[in-house]
Amino acid sequence: MNHELLALACVTAPLLGFAVALIGFRRRHSSAAAIVIASGLVSLVASVLLLITARPEAQAFTARWFMIEDFSIEFGVLLDGRTLIMGSVVALITLCIQVYSLYYMASDPGKGRFFAFLALFEWSMLLFVYSANLLQMFIFWELVGLASFLLIGFWYEKPSAVAAAKKAFLMTRVGDVGLFIGLILLFQTSGTLDVLGIANIFEPHGLPESIAPQRIELIAMLLFVGVIGKSAQFPLHTWLPDAMEGPTPVSALLHSATMVAAGVFLVTRFHGLFLDAPTTMTTILWIATFTALLSSTMAMVAKDMKRVLAFSSISQLGFMLMGLGAGSLFAGYFHLTTHAFFKALLFLCAGAYIHSSGTNDLIAIGRAGAARRMKITTIGLVVGGAALAGIPMFAGFFSKEHILSALHGPGQMIFKIGAFGAAFMTAYYTFRMVFLIMRPNPNSQATPDEPAYPHDDAHGPAEPLAMILPIIVLSLGALVIGFFGDKIGAILHVEHIHHPTIGEMAPAVVVALLGVVLAWIDFGRANAKQRGFVSLVPAAEKLFEKRWYIDEIYNTAIVRPVIMIAKLCYGTETRGLDKGIDSLAYSTAKVGREVARGHVGRLQLYIGVAVVVVASLVFYVGMR
Amino acid sequence: MLQALIVIPLLSALAIAFAPKANARVIATMSSVICLAVGVLMAWQFRWGDSGEMQFGWSMDVLPELGISMSLGVDSIALWLIELTLLLAPICVIGSFSAIKDNQKTYYAWLTALQAALIGVFAARDLAFFYVSFEFTLIPMWVLIHLFGSTNRKKAATKFFLFTFTGSVIALAGLVYVAWFNAGMMGGWSFDIAELQQAARRMNGTQQGWVLLAMMAGFAVKVPLFPVHTWLPLAHTEAPTAGSVVLAGVLLKLGTYAIFRFVLAFVPDAVVAYAVPIAVLAIIGIIYTGLICWVQRDVKKLVAYSSVSHLGFCVLGLFAINSVGVSGSVMYMINHGLSTGALFLCIGMMYERYHTRSMDEVGGLANKMPVWAFFMVFFTLASVGLPGLNGFVSEFLCLLGTFQSGAGSMGVGGTVGSLGPWFAAVAGTGMVIAAIYLLYMVGKIVFGELREPADYHVHETLPIDLNGREIGVLVPLAIGCVVLGVLPTPVLRTIEQPVNQLVQTLEDAHDHMLVRGGEDGVVVVAVWDESEGDVE
Repeated sequence: MNHELLALACVTAPLLGFAVALIGFRRRHSSAAAIVIASGLVSLVASVLLLITARPEAQAFTARWFMIEDFSIEFGVLLDGRTLIMGSVVALITLCIQVYSLYYMASDPGKGRFFAFLALFEWSMLLFVYSANLLQMFIFWELVGLASFLLIGFWYEKPSAVAAAKKAFLMTRVGDVGLFIGLILLFQTSGTLDVLGIANIFEPHGLPESIAPQRIELIAMLLFVGVIGKSAQFPLHTWLPDAMEGPTPVSALLHSATMVAAGVFLVTRFHGLFLDAPTTMTTILWIATFTALLSSTMAMVAKDMKRVLAFSSISQLGFMLMGLGAGSLFAGYFHLTTHAFFKALLFLCAGAYIHSSGTNDLIAIGRAGAARRMKITTIGLVVGGAALAGIPMFAGFFSKEHILSALHGPGQMIFKIGAFGAAFMTAYYTFRMVFLIMRPNPNSQATPDEPAYPHDDAHGPAEPLAMILPIIVLSLGALVIGFFGDKIGAILHVEHIHHPTIGEMAPAVVVALLGVVLAWIDFGRANAKQRGFVSLVPAAEKLFEKRWYIDEIYNTAIVRPVIMIAKLCYGTETRGLDKGIDSLAYSTAKVGREVARGHVGRLQLYIGVAVVVVASLVFYVGMR
Repeated sequence: MLQALIVIPLLSALAIAFAPKANARVIATMSSVICLAVGVLMAWQFRWGDSGEMQFGWSMDVLPELGISMSLGVDSIALWLIELTLLLAPICVIGSFSAIKDNQKTYYAWLTALQAALIGVFAARDLAFFYVSFEFTLIPMWVLIHLFGSTNRKKAATKFFLFTFTGSVIALAGLVYVAWFNAGMMGGWSFDIAELQQAARRMNGTQQGWVLLAMMAGFAVKVPLFPVHTWLPLAHTEAPTAGSVVLAGVLLKLGTYAIFRFVLAFVPDAVVAYAVPIAVLAIIGIIYTGLICWVQRDVKKLVAYSSVSHLGFCVLGLFAINSVGVSGSVMYMINHGLSTGALFLCIGMMYERYHTRSMDEVGGLANKMPVWAFFMVFFTLASVGLPGLNGFVSEFLCLLGTFQSGAGSMGVGGTVGSLGPWFAAVAGTGMVIAAIYLLYMVGKIVFGELREPADYHVHETLPIDLNGREIGVLVPLAIGCVVLGVLPTPVLRTIEQPVNQLVQTLEDAHDHMLVRGGEDGVVVVAVWDESEGDVE
């Protein structure tokens, strides 16, 4: 197999799909969709072939982008364990979502545009993952941000969607500035933009002596700032729940395997560097653990199904970063892979319910009888839920075990406890969601925020093939991917994978089951009140529902003051600076007018004065 | 060929003045297209291998006793800026077809004459001719704003004129001082730029410092640099669309080009000494005007302020004093001309249909004008500095240059210069602010629910969405944005030579100073005190 050709096909197919869909088929939506899906298929086949056939040793195919002085910037495709797996996952999930969108977006007037954006997104994400160069990484990282902006704000006539898209772009961009500076600093330190070259400096044998440890800390910290933005970690996590304003396939795409995963992927990409920065690693652990706990509490009380999943994405990204922060590349990467499957699955199930019930509200969906009507979707929901909750033998279980057992170092007890707490809450809120849908109880105390508007049957089957096929594929993925841990470890060149013993696994299993049981008592059993245990403490419930008031705090503490400063600047500008300079000019002009006794206009006067000045100057110097 | 680029528009302007009204725009279009063709031919014939040398030289004595001649010539940087001007010229003319109905003769005549003056500035090899052209640009621009602007046009025109004129008189003082210094040294007058450059570099620190201050006072107004930028928002808002396009696209670049050509090249010692305060002003401008953009309700004013913010990066790159920063800055001049010029065109097209620029009155136009919306979003993204489009490359290079400038801070060993990572970090927040206000603008007028003024009715001649002419005007700019964003190498390679020559002198000045001054802290003093001996 010619790997270079395959890699090229993999990364250019979506671009062609995008261009053709955008330009050629603006009005022919179905052709646009077909082209984009075909390009997605090409990428998937190429990336899987690469995964199977490429040598495990890293290789890069590059071409020069531009050159300044004697320093050349080479763009290209890097093939090593990390990119091969992630590339295939991205291509697979994207294809599933493209197929799913065929039906989901079928009646949308902007369908062609939607598919074009999906292709743009896939292209950016793939080239980010396969990046051979730091600058390339940054460029495609930004393009991923752009495509997300376009997709989240796809329904542009909806003000909330536009606001959410802007928020996502801006909050990630705050992180991007950190990342940008970090990358420049990294380049200055290592003297190369080549990802492989950097990996060789940091990877097997630790920090070279020529580089000061503080420098590495600074770089790692700045890179992590970018990760915080992209992977929606505290304190830059607030954009992600809002991003649910986009169409559900977009949420499935962005918040499972791709956009938010880009941040975590960046950490895995430079994990060698992060290992040399112990302070940063501890910071990562703190932030990741805190984020996982924080967003789990919000997920426990959210009524909007997509929001529950959004909070859970934030929390699971926290889990991945915990594993990476604890020093285990494998644990973080493995969870990144499994999460891609089960979270995309859950979002697609949510989309199916929402599409048929006309509401996002969990209680309303349940009462509309969605679970009965949509059996395959419900099976998917249970599989995905079990994987997310960490029920043994489902995907999330394996990877979460690896993360928990990676947290064994000195001083990491507190993070381990936090992880257990988050795991418990995850199981609880996941099954709260499952039970609310599967076991609706019209007599319970739960009140939906909005009623359901079920589509009439004229809209077609509740479970059309285009929607069900991706759900089946991802369900199978969520069932089996957990057993591929060793294989993934081998591709990643992880030499020693610590397999947790039964004794180590037991606490996590107990915690997960405890969460499920509690969810059963609160929501599942017959005559359940369907009010969570959180409602025993109304203050806490309110706090969680209001998302800890973080958005409000940002508004009061940051946004409004900055707007005030901006207004102040504008006030200074119009009333101070502008007036000041004007009055200076006009008073000068007045003096001029006085001198000229009002016979000449201002402008002529000025020209006149200037000519006289210049002439006398010339005359003066000429006479010397 | 350079003289043709000046003569053709001037003759056309005359022809327009005497030809019947109906022919005005035809002549203007033909003139600008012919000039563009000449420009393409020039690019073809230019010896890119010697891009640092002045080519297409041509000279005619005007006042031999004072050494004043009309001499022309371009290196690659001047050539690129000329190409930018030549590209924008037909776009401005054709873009004005539907907007200008009365007084067409005056309008097109002055617009065409303006083009000649702009070429004159970039092509001048003689200081006096440079200055005459530089000043002459004011008159057509003044007429365009004064006669064809919107409600507040008279005040805007006068203010524009007064500001830039006052500034350039001060700059003239600096330039004449250099000529006088040279005359004193050589025993005869000359205004040849290359000769003056050699002479100026032999001035001592104090003299260089004063010359720098004088020149910066003039050119900073033109750029414009904080705090002398206050004329620009008003001028932009009131100017007709084509006026704004030329103003943002080319006229502001006169300032940065002059800084590049005269400040950096003439007084390297002073540049090294004054880099920090100027960079600080640039950064204040980036952030301050960026914040101002955020609270604008008038779209055109927003883009006008964003120009001030963006050109802050351009100045920052110049004063990073290394090839990365200076090349980035030159790229920035071209890129900003394309993307901001295009934004003004887009806004003009909206204004022609809705007769308002206020975000409170129009919004959600994507629902009604999808093609326009595409271009608006596209150029906004180019302006935000989205990777893959042109703005990113230049912004990246300017910031990288700033970052590498200066050694020592944050433990980073870089090139000469005295800015460093902190400057880059603070300026980097400008990237976020730019994203905020530009997305805010797009979110208001392009996306959201459709809002139209109450008295809106379909334009008599223009369709609801863009017509072929308007698309044709925007497409070349869009292509430029993509090409320069994806393949910046050709341009970067061609400006390498002149940039490196310049940076070499600056580096020498820097070393020179370090040898004499030792520690960074006393550099300024050292230059000023110890180089006294160099006079005479």
